[in-house]
Amino acid sequence: MLKEDFVIQANIRQMLTRTEINVSQIEFGTVRGVVYIRGTFQFSRSDPSWDSDKAKDFTAQTLYSLEKKIRRIEGVSDVIFQLNNWRKEKGHWFHVKIIKREEKNET
Amino acid sequence: MKPRRRSIYQRILDEIEKEAHIHPNYADLQNQFALLLMVEGEMERAEVHFLKALRLNPKYREAILNLAFLYMEMRRWKKAEEILLPEVKRNPRDGFLHHVLGILYLQTGRQKEATVRIRKAIQYHSHYQDYYKKKGMWQRGTIHLDQKAEKALKKVHLDPYAQFHNFIGLNLAQKGKFAQAVKELKKAAGLKPDEFIFHANLGTVYYYQGAYSKAIQEFQKALKIDPLYGMGYANLSYIYGLMSRTQEALRYMEKAVQLNPRYADLHYNLALLYNDRKQYKKAFFELKKALRINPHYLFARINLGVLYEDQKKWKEARREYKKILRITPNDEHIQKRLKRIS
Repeated sequence: MLKEDFVIQANIRQMLTRTEINVSQIEFGTVRGVVYIRGTFQFSRSDPSWDSDKAKDFTAQTLYSLEKKIRRIEGVSDVIFQLNNWRKEKGHWFHVKIIKREEKNET
Repeated sequence: MKPRRRSIYQRILDEIEKEAHIHPNYADLQNQFALLLMVEGEMERAEVHFLKALRLNPKYREAILNLAFLYMEMRRWKKAEEILLPEVKRNPRDGFLHHVLGILYLQTGRQKEATVRIRKAIQYHSHYQDYYKKKGMWQRGTIHLDQKAEKALKKVHLDPYAQFHNFIGLNLAQKGKFAQAVKELKKAAGLKPDEFIFHANLGTVYYYQGAYSKAIQEFQKALKIDPLYGMGYANLSYIYGLMSRTQEALRYMEKAVQLNPRYADLHYNLALLYNDRKQYKKAFFELKKALRINPHYLFARINLGVLYEDQKKWKEARREYKKILRITPNDEHIQKRLKRIS
């Protein structure tokens, strides 16, 4: 039997609040076991000594581990990330520049 | 103070000082920094930063009260009174403000004025009647100050210290140091047991920690103090959800929605609970409410589309999926769903 969506949702809520992920920038939802995560993926605080490459590596690692953890929740059948600053292609996470609306309009 | 504790406070003080330096125009940071300085005993520096917080945001209630407490600590009674009187004028039914003024007058031997304030505090917040009775200061509608009551009086204006432990607790919790956070928040709740936010924060940290029964206890204490604290019911619902006790989760989420009818997220969660229990009519109703509040609430719309599909209402399902694709045109899952029913 499928685990109830609300139970999955409550697990994700707790999982996200226990990390340093900035939850105010992302939204999440569960539809019949399919988990959706949208928004801008960033941390609420970052180590100022890190350069941009190190910060990107750390973010990518966090995304891998987050996906793994979500998939381990009983009843989760799929996880769909719709992030505007990170994209998964062929199993790898890539940082993508957020295109602002004004820039988009100019082109 | 134990050296280990001391170093935690000092570290947080250093962090906040740095942040306040980077963001000098954040009233919040100035207030927090001043509070930490005050507890460290640096009263003059604390005053400078509370005043700075109030210059940035003259209506910042927490900073106003903290500054009044600082002046009371410094025994600058007149200054404290000058701050509290306009506040009480602005909020004449605020029992806590009358209570603080009552304490101030008691400390300065102005018993007549203290009686008036304490009467008002009791009138606007019945909790204070028990409070003064327990301290032995209030008997048959008048103030009594025997030796025991005098001793109790010296300890009453502990509010900024409770705020301090609360702040430290939240700061530690943000860093994932839950065990230390719990210790600090317990101190805050111990100093001011009638402050619902301390119990709510303690409940939240227990919830993060996975100590669900303790979290439930604290949220219930918070709700006993403030039964209108809607997010307390929502948090109880999430905790029961984590425990797979969805019957209780549903009961609390219904209450949370009733108290916060404008929160789309709560309607969405309530819809999930109804949907899980196959109460589809109610689930539809809640999803539509969530979407009325926030028409861009994508997940609510996806759930709604799926519900229409279940009911074989293909036209309505297509309409919802098309609306989603207008917001996220590259959503492959929705594209697939739409294709399947087109």
